[in-house]
Amino acid sequence: MDNQKINASFTLIAVLVGFMIAIQFQTVKKPAERDTRDIWQLREALLKEKELQSSLLSEIRSNEEKLAAYESKRKQSKEKTLKDTLEELRIEAGVTEVNVPGIKLKIEPVMEEIKPGAPVNRVVSPELLKRLLNELNMYEAKYIAIDGKRIINTTVIRDINQVTKIDGHAIKSLPIEVIVGVDDNTTAEKLYNRMKVSKSTEEFFIENLRLSISKPNPNVTVPAYDDSIRIRYMEPTKEGGDS
Amino acid sequence: MWLPFIGLIIGIVLGMLTEIRIPEEYSNYLSIAVLAAFDTLFGGIRAYLQNIYDEKVFVSGFFFNILLAASLAFLGVNLGVDLYLAAVFAFGVRLFQNIAVIRRILLTKWSTNKEKVEKN
Repeated sequence: MDNQKINASFTLIAVLVGFMIAIQFQTVKKPAERDTRDIWQLREALLKEKELQSSLLSEIRSNEEKLAAYESKRKQSKEKTLKDTLEELRIEAGVTEVNVPGIKLKIEPVMEEIKPGAPVNRVVSPELLKRLLNELNMYEAKYIAIDGKRIINTTVIRDINQVTKIDGHAIKSLPIEVIVGVDDNTTAEKLYNRMKVSKSTEEFFIENLRLSISKPNPNVTVPAYDDSIRIRYMEPTKEGGDS
Repeated sequence: MWLPFIGLIIGIVLGMLTEIRIPEEYSNYLSIAVLAAFDTLFGGIRAYLQNIYDEKVFVSGFFFNILLAASLAFLGVNLGVDLYLAAVFAFGVRLFQNIAVIRRILLTKWSTNKEKVEKN
């Protein structure tokens, strides 16, 4: 009776089971391909692999070289930045000679006013110089040297035994030259125009001194500060400290 | 009578020809499914020989056992417990029992046949 039917269902299930077994068999046992190459083919394959290895090695080497180059470039750039910063700071502090646009002022006795027999004014008072410096600084002067002596932040101008001294350098005789450097030509021009009408000229004249102002020069040389800068009350802050 | 065997062979050939591969991590499920299928198959044969065969039980048992075994294995993998071993054990034991019963039935049938032939 249902023999046919039973057979059919059995067959169906058997097909399914067989299918599953086959798949499982294939999954578990990966086809082991027999190696049928002879020794020369093997050598060839080995050679090929070695070539691949060497090419890979050279690739690695080139990449490492590149990496090293990048690394050194990076370091150099860091160093360069530091050097640049240091140079900038040195220029700002005034320990380097600078060639910038600027003007030259000349302080000389007023010859017409010298009366015969009267002593010639041979000194320029520190107050006058300070006023002049203040005025110059007001007009954006950046680098100033008086009588070849560079003026920096810590420079003192004072009277010692009736001799005007700038950081220990005595101004013994007139005329003296004041070199003023600025950042660019327009500023130099501006400085020149302002100095021409400044009160300093009159103040110098009261003391029988003439302040003559030269035309703006695109390239004046302001000498470097030649002493060592002593820093007594400054110390570096600790990194990461509370600020 | 030989049709199921032919079906089995056809299934194997088909499976071999299709070259289907299952990812490694799923081969566990398939193995347990195969075991469940075997169990059902032999159970069906035994039932047939014992004349208590029911097609509905057979077919539903086939699919249900496979699904149950696979889900058990899945649960085991997710829980970190080798639950599929339980299925393997259960199916294995039943497989042996079924085969033993089939063998005995076949043996008795064979001996009665022999006796019949001798009587004749």
